[in-house]
Amino acid sequence: MPAEARYLSARVLRNEDARLLTGRALFVDDVQIEGMLHVAFVRSEHAHGRLKGVDVSAAMRRLGVVAVYTAEDLGDYWRAGPLLVPPPPIPNLVFHACTQVPLAKDKVRHVGEAIAMIVAENRYVAEDAIRDVVVDIEPLDAVVDLEKGLAPGAPLIHEQLTSNAAAHVVQRKGDYASARKKADLVVKRRFFYDRGAAAAIENRAIAVNWDPKAEELTIWDTTQAPIPIRNGLAKMLGLLESQVNVIAPFVGGGFGPKIMMFYPEEVLLPWAAIRLSRPLKWTEDRQENFYATTQERGQVHDAEMAFTREGRILGVHDVFLFDTGAYDPYGLTIPINSQCTLLGPYDIPNYESEFTAVFTNKTIVTPVRGAGRQHGVFVSERLLDIAARELRIDRVEIRKRNLLGPDRFPHNHEIMFQDSAPLVYDSGNYLPTLEQAVDLIGYDKFIKDEQPRLRAEGKHVGIGVVCYVEGTGIGPYEGARVTVEPSGKVRVATGVGTQGQGHFTVFAQLVADALGVDVEDVRVVTGDTREFHWGTGTFASRGAVVAGSACHAAAMAVREKILRLGSSLLNVTPEQLELRGGQVRVIGANGAAIGLGELSGLANPLRGAVRPGTEPGLESTAYFGPDRGSTASGVHAMIIEVDPETAMVEIKRYLVAHDCGTIINPLIVEGQIHGGVAQGIGNAFYEQLVYDEQGQLLNASFMDYLIPTATDVPRVETAHRETPSPFNPIGLKGVGEAGCIPTGALFAQAVEDALSDLGVEITEIPLSPNRLFELIESAKAAGK
Amino acid sequence: MILTGTYIFNGPRAAVWDLLQDPAVLAKALPGTKTLTRTADDQYHGVMKVSVGPVTAAEFAVNVELKDKVPPEKFSMQIDGKGAVGFTKGTATIDLQEQPGPVTVMNYSSDVQIGGKIAGVGQRLLESVGKMMTKQALEALNRELQSRLGKQ
Repeated sequence: MPAEARYLSARVLRNEDARLLTGRALFVDDVQIEGMLHVAFVRSEHAHGRLKGVDVSAAMRRLGVVAVYTAEDLGDYWRAGPLLVPPPPIPNLVFHACTQVPLAKDKVRHVGEAIAMIVAENRYVAEDAIRDVVVDIEPLDAVVDLEKGLAPGAPLIHEQLTSNAAAHVVQRKGDYASARKKADLVVKRRFFYDRGAAAAIENRAIAVNWDPKAEELTIWDTTQAPIPIRNGLAKMLGLLESQVNVIAPFVGGGFGPKIMMFYPEEVLLPWAAIRLSRPLKWTEDRQENFYATTQERGQVHDAEMAFTREGRILGVHDVFLFDTGAYDPYGLTIPINSQCTLLGPYDIPNYESEFTAVFTNKTIVTPVRGAGRQHGVFVSERLLDIAARELRIDRVEIRKRNLLGPDRFPHNHEIMFQDSAPLVYDSGNYLPTLEQAVDLIGYDKFIKDEQPRLRAEGKHVGIGVVCYVEGTGIGPYEGARVTVEPSGKVRVATGVGTQGQGHFTVFAQLVADALGVDVEDVRVVTGDTREFHWGTGTFASRGAVVAGSACHAAAMAVREKILRLGSSLLNVTPEQLELRGGQVRVIGANGAAIGLGELSGLANPLRGAVRPGTEPGLESTAYFGPDRGSTASGVHAMIIEVDPETAMVEIKRYLVAHDCGTIINPLIVEGQIHGGVAQGIGNAFYEQLVYDEQGQLLNASFMDYLIPTATDVPRVETAHRETPSPFNPIGLKGVGEAGCIPTGALFAQAVEDALSDLGVEITEIPLSPNRLFELIESAKAAGK
Repeated sequence: MILTGTYIFNGPRAAVWDLLQDPAVLAKALPGTKTLTRTADDQYHGVMKVSVGPVTAAEFAVNVELKDKVPPEKFSMQIDGKGAVGFTKGTATIDLQEQPGPVTVMNYSSDVQIGGKIAGVGQRLLESVGKMMTKQALEALNRELQSRLGKQ
């Protein structure tokens, strides 16, 4: 970063907010094209069954219906979606790829699976026509529970397989069995973590326009990965990549399900738009979102941790089941994240982790913010809490004794991470963050004075402190193009999609610093393949790290061009120049200067020649691809009060001390954390997708699926530490998931502490007032 | 959804039995029934309107088959319903015992699977709606029974 940088680490207000707040931001559902038709889907009401027939004749006769398609109508276009993330090269790994299909054929495997597609003059007619379609399904018993799904004789979801096991993976480090023999204490528990929805404010939507004269297909899609969507659809449709444009405009929240690629609707609309030569649009309604947009996080862990009497961890053994839903297009990203993140910030010399992924008759599971990291953190933090209690060591102290010291980096955990690279922490300094959190929440004083005083008043108050790491910023790469326009304004294009993260601001800050321009004069375009068509997408907390580093690199290359051209025009060496106020100028008072706009014109002359080895204009494209991700870390702490009569909780304080390397913009980092904590609180205490034994989702609306509201989410206090990553020039680490990863573990610890007189032990998330009430009652009964 | 219960009719068992085999009576008694016709021996087809929470006046086409009949003591029903907002599928058993009075004690139990939209948005209310509709139906049947017995 140049010396004159003034935006890095500054609380710059968001460039995009004016557009968002005044309703001038384009969302997919805003796209209106003359002659546009509207799409609705007939979906399965059964979780598992044989599809005997689909009679669409009555729907076809309905006035206003233009076309109705079933699997049979798709011909060769009907094929299972791609395996998006092939499993990492782990020895003896077993993986069965069974990816989703565009429309069900022969069998349905979850409620909400698409069976037929209706295209009509408007959505009303399309929705009415759903009722005209007669679907004949012979119901089969459903697989809902993970253990029952693996039992002999369980109904088989994918009949080409011999069981419902989708994958089996064992990863080992050291020798747990030997370590266990030396242990003074082994703590063993069974942990449950159940499903939730991402519940983005904007549901999925797709609008498609086929221009038959230009032979060009334009797709507006709420995807987090516009470039892979373009490339994949071009291949499926037999078009050149250059004939397909994918635009992910403003997107109202991604959180992971929108990185799932080639959803049935995404594959079907472009195909039908070309076939009908009419623009099409489909916008998911909220109930469809509950059934057809991917979900996360059913896992059951049987885990144990071996300790010395001093509380030092000797090793961990974990066997878990992972619910992958009806299909497994996203491979093993989530369970491998769980497996890796369990090690957390701790020095764990021996580790054995085995998991089985299980197909169930439920909506497909792909990453949702946290993406399996929650589970690992929950298991290790809970085991530490239980061990602390049994060894009579303070909860914070037992963590301190096991943190990796600052001299232990880079730290190789000797197992494979989700990006197919070994799990190596690049850098970290964990103890100061923990001490900072403990200090800011007033842990010692709370334990010593406040808690006894409040308990004497009959109040059930508790405190929790948990640690976590967040693997972020993985490859393969992103790119960016930076252009100084003749107006002096700067244009930045990058391939990642944006869903509210503040990309228009942080990328602009990095570029503005490199070029010495005002941040408001940098216009960023993301997620539009017409503008930039190399890259992967927005996931794994990698936007700022990977695309940000590419923006920086491209801007630094433009800076070089400016300095080179400036030095020849101003007759000084480049070292005598600075970039400031939108000008290149000779350092010193009253130095000669040229505005960057003027310079860009001089770099693109109407006469004269561009010499060999040079390029016109002030523009550069650069790419950044880290060998592996950078590991962020942090500590969450909270004080909670529980009413044991109603089992309602009140969060008195919530604090996040975290370290995401160099901070580009504290305002945006804090926003990410606040949002993450809100989502984490939802996951910990409010949100749960409840399926019955037949695989029917019982709470498919916001009336019954409770997301936390403003009154449930406290003000979140934040503290920042910066341990720069050596893996990128600015030292960045991601922060997108930090807010929600340890929230379940924190809730469990704090609630347990508040109810310590009753001896409640929490081994499951989500909780709810109902569930907590049951736990309180059973603890009372056991205590009698 | 499992609904079980007991209801006492003020009349002899044979009269209750006859009542329960008469589609015209059932059509009047069962809340929301628009039509109910006998399609074959022991087979009925009907259209019912049900409101559960946010799902209002949803129409279901229902097929009911009577099975395991032991007149006038007991029978079971195979129920298959389908509508725009979901489906129902299950069985119900009815047991009638005469006691002095004479009164007839009905023990009923049903196990019905509910799927689709109505399961997703109405779950919280399904059981209470089911209980309420059962109660309304049985009370209407008892009233019908009283009027029949009064006419005799």
